[in-house]
Formats: sequence, C-alpha cells, structure tokens
Amino acid sequence: MTPNQSRNSKTSRVSYVAVILLLWCAAICARLVYLQIFSYGTFALKARHQQQRTEAVSAQRGVIYDRAGHELAMSVSVDSVFAIPSEIHDLPVTTALLARITKADPRELFSRCNASPNFCWIARKGDAGIADRVRALHLRGVYFQKEPKRFYPKGELGAQVLGYVGMDDAGLGGIEHQYDEKLHGVDGRVIVSVDARRRWFGSVEKQPSPGENVVLTIDEKVQYIAEHELDAAMRETHAETGTIVVENPHTGEILALANRPTFNPNLSREVAPQSLKNHAVSDVYEPGSTFKLVTIAAALEEKLTRPDEVFDCQMGSIVINGMRIRDHKAYGLLPVTKILANSSDVGAIKIALRLGEDRFYKYIRAFGFGQPTGIELPGETRGLAKPVSRWSKVSIGAIAMGQEIGITPIQLAGLVSTIANDGVWVAPRIVAATTEPQTTPRTVVFHPAAERRVLSTMTAAEVKQMMQDVVLEGTGRKAILEGYSSAGKTGTAQKVDPATRAYSRTKYVASFAGFAPINNPAITVAVILDSPAGLHQGGQVSAPVFQRVSQQVLEYLHVAHDVDLPQNRQVLMTRRETKQDDLAENSPDHLGASLEVAEDASPTPVAAPVNLAHQTAGATMGSDLPGLGVTPASLRQSTAAPGPILQPSSSLPSPPTHAALASDGGATVVLDAGGGGILVPSFIGKSLRQAIETAEGSGLDLEAAGNGLAQGQQPPPGSHVPAGSKVMVHFGR
Amino acid sequence: MSRYVSFRDFDWLLLMFVLLICGLGVMEIRSATEHTKFAGAHIKQVYWIGGGIAGMFLLSLVNYQLLLDRVQWMYIIAVGSLTTVLVFGQKYLGARRWVKMPGGLHFQPSEWVKLILILAVAKYFADLQNRELTWPDFFKAGAIVAVPMLMVLAQPDLGTALTYLPIALMGLFLGGVRLKQALAVVLMAGLMMPIAWFKVLKPYQRERLTSFMNPDADSQGSGYQVNQSLIAVGSGGIWGSTEGSQTHLSFLPVPQTDFIFAAFAEEHGFVGALGLMLLYFVLLMRLTQNAQTAPDRAGVMVVMGVVAVLSFHILVNVGMVVGFMPVTGIPLPLMSYGGSSVLFMFLALGMVMNVRMRRFVN
Repeated sequence: MTPNQSRNSKTSRVSYVAVILLLWCAAICARLVYLQIFSYGTFALKARHQQQRTEAVSAQRGVIYDRAGHELAMSVSVDSVFAIPSEIHDLPVTTALLARITKADPRELFSRCNASPNFCWIARKGDAGIADRVRALHLRGVYFQKEPKRFYPKGELGAQVLGYVGMDDAGLGGIEHQYDEKLHGVDGRVIVSVDARRRWFGSVEKQPSPGENVVLTIDEKVQYIAEHELDAAMRETHAETGTIVVENPHTGEILALANRPTFNPNLSREVAPQSLKNHAVSDVYEPGSTFKLVTIAAALEEKLTRPDEVFDCQMGSIVINGMRIRDHKAYGLLPVTKILANSSDVGAIKIALRLGEDRFYKYIRAFGFGQPTGIELPGETRGLAKPVSRWSKVSIGAIAMGQEIGITPIQLAGLVSTIANDGVWVAPRIVAATTEPQTTPRTVVFHPAAERRVLSTMTAAEVKQMMQDVVLEGTGRKAILEGYSSAGKTGTAQKVDPATRAYSRTKYVASFAGFAPINNPAITVAVILDSPAGLHQGGQVSAPVFQRVSQQVLEYLHVAHDVDLPQNRQVLMTRRETKQDDLAENSPDHLGASLEVAEDASPTPVAAPVNLAHQTAGATMGSDLPGLGVTPASLRQSTAAPGPILQPSSSLPSPPTHAALASDGGATVVLDAGGGGILVPSFIGKSLRQAIETAEGSGLDLEAAGNGLAQGQQPPPGSHVPAGSKVMVHFGR
Repeated sequence: MSRYVSFRDFDWLLLMFVLLICGLGVMEIRSATEHTKFAGAHIKQVYWIGGGIAGMFLLSLVNYQLLLDRVQWMYIIAVGSLTTVLVFGQKYLGARRWVKMPGGLHFQPSEWVKLILILAVAKYFADLQNRELTWPDFFKAGAIVAVPMLMVLAQPDLGTALTYLPIALMGLFLGGVRLKQALAVVLMAGLMMPIAWFKVLKPYQRERLTSFMNPDADSQGSGYQVNQSLIAVGSGGIWGSTEGSQTHLSFLPVPQTDFIFAAFAEEHGFVGALGLMLLYFVLLMRLTQNAQTAPDRAGVMVVMGVVAVLSFHILVNVGMVVGFMPVTGIPLPLMSYGGSSVLFMFLALGMVMNVRMRRFVN
C-alpha cells in the first residue's frame, strides 16, 4: 500500500465522517420540523396549560331598585379568607387561631385544611371584622380575596320578592333568581402566568361586564306599610301565613307584595325553607266568598240579572242535584246587591245556575283563573280551575261560592283590579324595566302587559257599586276608610283538612280584596290570612288590615280625599302631615306608619349600615321620589295619573343635582356622575387583580398595560371623572 | 524542522463562525438568566470567551509536533489528576469532579483530559504509520482511552466519560480499523451492554437514560426535564414565541447550560434553531476540510479528534433537547454557560489552528 493510496483512504474515511455528521444533523432538523411545525399546537397548548391559571373575576351584580330608585339589593366587595395549608408550618395552632375568630369548629377546620393542602376557604363573605382580625395576625399561608357579597339594605323588606343570593353569586329565589342572568353580568377572567415555583405574574384577558340593574314596580314605602300592617295582623290573629298584595288596577303594577313568615336575605344561610315561599304567587287556596264576584259579575254582564233583581234565598238552604247546601245565615228575599253584601251562598248558587256551566267557566278563565298571570316571579302556579267536562253535578254550586276552585292571591288581586279598572283585566307586573349597568336612568318606561276586556264599563260600574255596598252595609264594614270611599268583598273559606279530606271546622282562610277610592281607584289591596286563631271571618280579620293599609297608602300617594273627613280627624290629619315632614329627615321607614304607631317602639326592620345619603339630602318625603320615577307608558284614559307616585307633583322640590351615591366601604353603586363625577382612586402599587376590583368598585373602566404592579395612571388619583370613564393604568415590575 | 508560521494562514473564517455561535450563546444566556439568581452570567461568559480566544492563539503558536512528542508525560499527568480528584476531590451533588485550587478556583480535570486524549490517540495512530491495525494495536488504543474513561465514570460522571468514547472511535476509524475488528467491537459492546446496564449503572442513571423515550410516563419525575424541553422547543413554533415562556417562567431546567438549545429554539422558533444547526454544521465541515488539508497523518488525527468531540457534544446535546437522546448532562459547545467547557473548546480549536497554520510546509 503506497502512502498516496493510504492518504486517499484516510481522506475518504474523513468524508465518511462528514456524511455521518450530515445525516445526524438532518435527522435533528427533521425532528425540529416535527416538533416546531407539526406539533406546535399541541406543545403551545401544553405550555399554556402549565404556565397559565385562569381566574374568574366576578362581575358586579346589578342593583335592584324600587320604583323610586331606592336600592333594595346591591353588591359590595368583602374580603374572604382562604389558606394554602401547605405553606403553613404549624397547622393545628393556626387553624385553632382561625377557628376562634371565625367561630368554627377547630377540629373540623383542621381536618378540612389537612385534606386540601393547596386551597381551603376559612371564611367566605363574612363580616369585615373577621377579615380584619385575621389580617392583624399576619399568619403565614393565609390570604384574602375580594368577593362580591349581596347586601339588602332594607333587611327583610320584600324578602320573598327579592329572593337572595347563594355563596357562588347565584340568585336563589325571587327576582334574584328570575333575573339572575341579567343581574349577574358576565364574569371576567384574569389569566395569570405561573412559573415553575408557582409564583404569579399577572396579565389580563377579559374584564368583567357588570350585570344590568332591575327596577321594580314595588314602592319601598308601600311595601313597608303592607309589611308593617301584616306583621300587626299576624300578631293579632296568630295566622299561620299571611299575604298582602297592593296593585295599581290600571297598569297592573304591583306596588307591594308582602308575605309572612319572612326572612332576612342578608342572613340567607339561616333561612327556614317555609319562609322563602312567596305565598302571593305560589299558594293555591279556595277563595270562598270573594269568588262570588265572578258569579255575579258574569251574570250581570250576560244580562241575566240586574243588581236590584230579588232572589229567594230559601232561608239558607238549597238542594242542587240531590245535594243540600246550607248557607252560613238564613236569608229570605234578597236583591242581588244584598246577596253580595251579605254573601249569601244560596243566592250566589241560584245566579250561577241561571248562568250555566259553560258561560260561567268562560268568565272564570277571562278573569285569569286557572292560568299563570305571567308576573316576573319564580314559582308562580296557575291555580286549579277544572274545565267543565270535569265538573260534577254540584260543581257549579260549589264554584259559585268559591269552593272546588283554587286561586292564588295575585289572581284575586287581578279579579278585583279588573272590576276597579272598568272591566279590563291587566296582567300584573312587578318589574318595571332593566337598565344598563352602572348608569342612572332618570326615568324608566313601564309598559303595561297584556290586557283584555272582561266586563263592559257598565257592568263594572254596577259591580263596583255593589262592592261599595259590601263595605258600607255588608260584611266588609271594617274596611271603611277615612276620607276615601272604598269597595271590596270578604271571603271566609274553610280549609280542606288534608287528614280527613273534608272541610275543616277550625281552619279558615280569611280574605278581603278591595279597592279605593270608588271613582278612579288608585289601589287594589288583597289581604289573605291563612288559619287565623279565634276570629276567622274575612270581614272581621282581613278587612281591618285592608283598611289600615289602604288608608296609609292612599295618603302616602297623595290621593285626593273623595269623602269628607270627620271634623276631629281633620285636625289629626294636619298634625300627621307635619309629623311626616319631620320624620322624613331622619327615619324614612316610619313615613307610612300611622301616627300612633310611629312613635312607639314597633320593631322596624333593622336598618343596615348602608349610606342612604340621598335620602337625608331630600328635604321631604316626596323629594327623593322623582329620582327614578316610573312612568307608565300608557295611562288609561279613564284614569287621571295615579297621584304623585308616578308623576311627582310640581309643588315638590325638583330632585337635587345629580349626586354620586358613594356607598360605604368598597361598595359599588355609582348612580350618577353628572355633576361632581367619580373620585379617581389611586391604583399605584396595586396588582392587576386589585386594580380591576378597585376600578369596578368605583365604576371606572380600567385599561391596563404591562405586567406587574401599577406604576402610573391617567387621570391621576383625586381627579373627578364621569362614571364609566376609562382609566389608563400602567403596570411594570 | 523549522516552519514558517503566519497568522495569515489562521482560519479566520472558522473563527468568525465560532464567534457568531458564541455571540448567540451569550445573548441566550442573558435572556435565560434575566430575573434569576444567575443574572449577569452572560458577562462572565464573555470573559471566558475572551480568555478562550487568548488561549487559542497561544496554543496555535506552539507546534503541535512538539506537543505530540511530549504527550506521554501529559497523559501521565492527566491520569494523575484524575486520581487526585477521586481521592481528594470536592464532593458536590454526590459526585467528585472538582479539585479545589489555591485562589478559590475549582478545577475540573476531566475536561482537560479530553484534550490530552485527542493528542494521545493522534500520536498513537500516527506512530503506527500505515501498517495494518493489529489486534494488539487495537487493544492498546482502546486502553489509552479506557483508563481515564473508567476513572471519570467512577466519579461518577457518565456524561463526560461518554465524551471520551468518540475520540477512541474516531482514532480507530481513521487509523484503519478493519471490518472484522469493527464487528468485534460492536459484538463486545453488545455483550457488555447488559452487564454495564445492570451492574455498573445506578437505578437513577438507568431511569435517566430511558425516560427520554417516553417522557409523559413520569412527566413530573424522571421525564420532567425532557418533557419541559420538548414543550419549550415545540411551543417555539416557526418564528419563536415571545410571551410567557418556558424559559422565563423557570419550567425549563438549567436553560443557560445543558438546555440552552431548547431556550434558543423557543425564543427564535424553527427558523432560529435551523439556522443554529446550520452554523454548527458549517463549523464541523470547515473543521473536516482542515483535516483534509493537514500536513501529516498526526495532524489529520488531531483535527478529526476535535471534530469527534465537538460533533459528539453538539449532536448528543441537541439530541437530548429534541428527545432523541437521554439526558446526560453534556453541554452544547460554544453556547452553554461554563468556563471549563468554553476554555476546552477554544483550546481544541487552537490545536486545529495549530495544524492548519503548518499545512503548507512539508
């Protein structure tokens, strides 16, 4: 082998090496193609998965206002306390300390923390005091997070209407449930970058969009009057449950809807299930005599009788289809007017027999029985109104006097309102409108819902007259008002004993439904007391409640008197007016209460510490009403505007210039920013999450740039800007 | 045997590629160590590179023939220093690899032994001239590498020990190993493998060597590094990813040393990684070309020894990053942070320059 040959063989071996290297490099490049181009999506997803945590930022839940713009439900930010047990060195001691503050069972807390080393709630949405006391301990591994807490400034007022909110900000019951989606808004998200040691670096993805506000037709003052009087009635009668519905008969607006027993939605965890029930829409009961209104109105409308036609009430006994029915009292000859006034069963049955089954059923349906009214409340039942095909031979007699039929209190209010509204049935409504979040509607427009004519104006007027006679001369004498005419109908229905399936001799449903004043009625009031002890007749038990509620509500609504007041009462009334002016300054809750009650220490709802600055600002009771007046879009021609509730009279001072309603603490409801605007808080030094919460709490729109802690902001802290303005915050490390 | 030596013959083009790679390395170290306790490492790396360049020029001036003549003494010193490490070495992370030197420096002899081995193997095969490789030659060559290799393995430092292997293989291949002998090596390796696997390797080493094949099996344990490395490379995509990265959020282990290629591939994407691979390939080809123009057999052997070590480092390191190879703790030459590694590479290049500058006189 010559050197030259060997040289060649060496260089060729070097070339082999080069080729091997080339192949190896090519293989790696092919692998790079596979990893970085074909599998990019998978790996990018894996990277995101381990580098990012998505945190939900709760949206600001919308406010529920009454018709005058008072907050009935609002959200405030409170500190919740949680622990990361793995960071705690001495878990038993720490949990024992925490348990003492939160009043929890230390062993239960310890085992809970021990079981989940990464995250464990200590106290959620508790009192501010708890978080502050825990904070003062400077415990390792214990952290705080802002969470929205639902707050009901008026406590128990309208509890069943409002409902309440669960731990996870979900509406449970009432408007909170029915309008949950709108009130809730859309939660935002913060995507947090996490490094391998689980340290966090913030970066935003989506800001929460706050929920819409809901404006109710409820009037806080009317609601208070109704609840106050219902409380009094419950104390007097020891009824098991009670309901009062106050409705504007022309528009179907529910002004008040009171239920007993009740609960405090601020303490929703301690609520007994039975007190959550909204009896006004979900209770089905046999109406008894109030249903005779249907019987007689239908017969009058069908021209089968006249108010003055005389029926033989056969001394309290009638046999239909072989079954004897006894009246509560033996009457002889009675005109139709008196049949209603004295609530004669025999008379009603005779009228119904003349009407016939089919026509009777047609009117039952026309008055809205056996079908839901469509009111914006959850759990409404349609009642029980059997079709004629399922009636027995005696059904027509039973139904004529309000048995064998099941209705809800709201349906009863609808029946009376139809008569008060000149024969036109209007669907009841409790929500006036929903409004854009974080704005102040000056006026929201209320659109009355479906309506239909059931009776002619003539018939309605006749029935009205007859109902006035009930109050003036019949069973409802305790419903006579001072300075106002009134009309109504009593009802006393025996309850069916579930054990014997027969009518109970001790349990009654005492009801009274009426309206006032006679001409152009302003309100319909239905009072239903279930199983009162002792006195049990509607005229004795419920009519006085009607009287007290109507009297106060009419005066509160500034409805003009249509009946002369007795001389001595006139003096009293003037005194009351001045008294009201005084009260308006400091205790608005007493406004509607009668003079006598206002001074004694009747249990008023415990005023929760919410800053009702706008109320004290208003000089008189009326002045804060226009703040958010509800104006009916179409007032019926036959009715003058129903008093100051809808259109504040010009004598009242116009509302003060728009004042930003700063609520207490970290709260939330910024109503207006026309004049002073919102005070821009300082964001400097805050983390992104804190900044979002601060901005949300102030009603500002945060525009974040960069990562880390806030280092600069525009506009600067302390300046005033309109609500919803953008604040640029620059973050850096 | 006097020769005319001029820096005009110095391989400036090769140096340019080397410095380009080093520059990318410094940038990536800076990016990877930002906001960590290693912040500022890239400055130190620049000092090491500066020192390496100086060492390279100095080494290129000393005629490699003179070095080869004294290689047996160097070899003895190398083995001696490895023995010193085994006896007196500092225990760090369960292995004795460093000797404490006066002045607070830590000396890791296993890196320098590589250099001496390259020379020793070159000298051995050059002295054989062109005669056929006999079995005794074969075993002697093997022993030259095997002695220090076993000593490093005993430290234990599997990764560095493995880097001695390509020196031996390259020497045998270029020294004219016959097919029969090559087959014998393969057969012997095949026989030794199970013994080494079960007797020599510790369980954690076995786990490390196999986990790359299925990194998802234990993604938080033995497969963690490979898994994170693959995610880093894969999520780089074509153009690289800037926000929220594996590197900056510390998911990628040691991004400034062993996994610097993964950090680079994440930040600069497929385009960047391909470019870097191309640079390394051009570098290797340039070295190979230098080998082909070497003045003598010893020169070829020296240059190709350097090629063997360098390519082994590159391909095993990148192979590890992309999931081809097990995690062995072998740094990426010229890019990974670390004084020993940088200095060794530049001295090895110095030897290549040394050979190149003496190519014309024959």
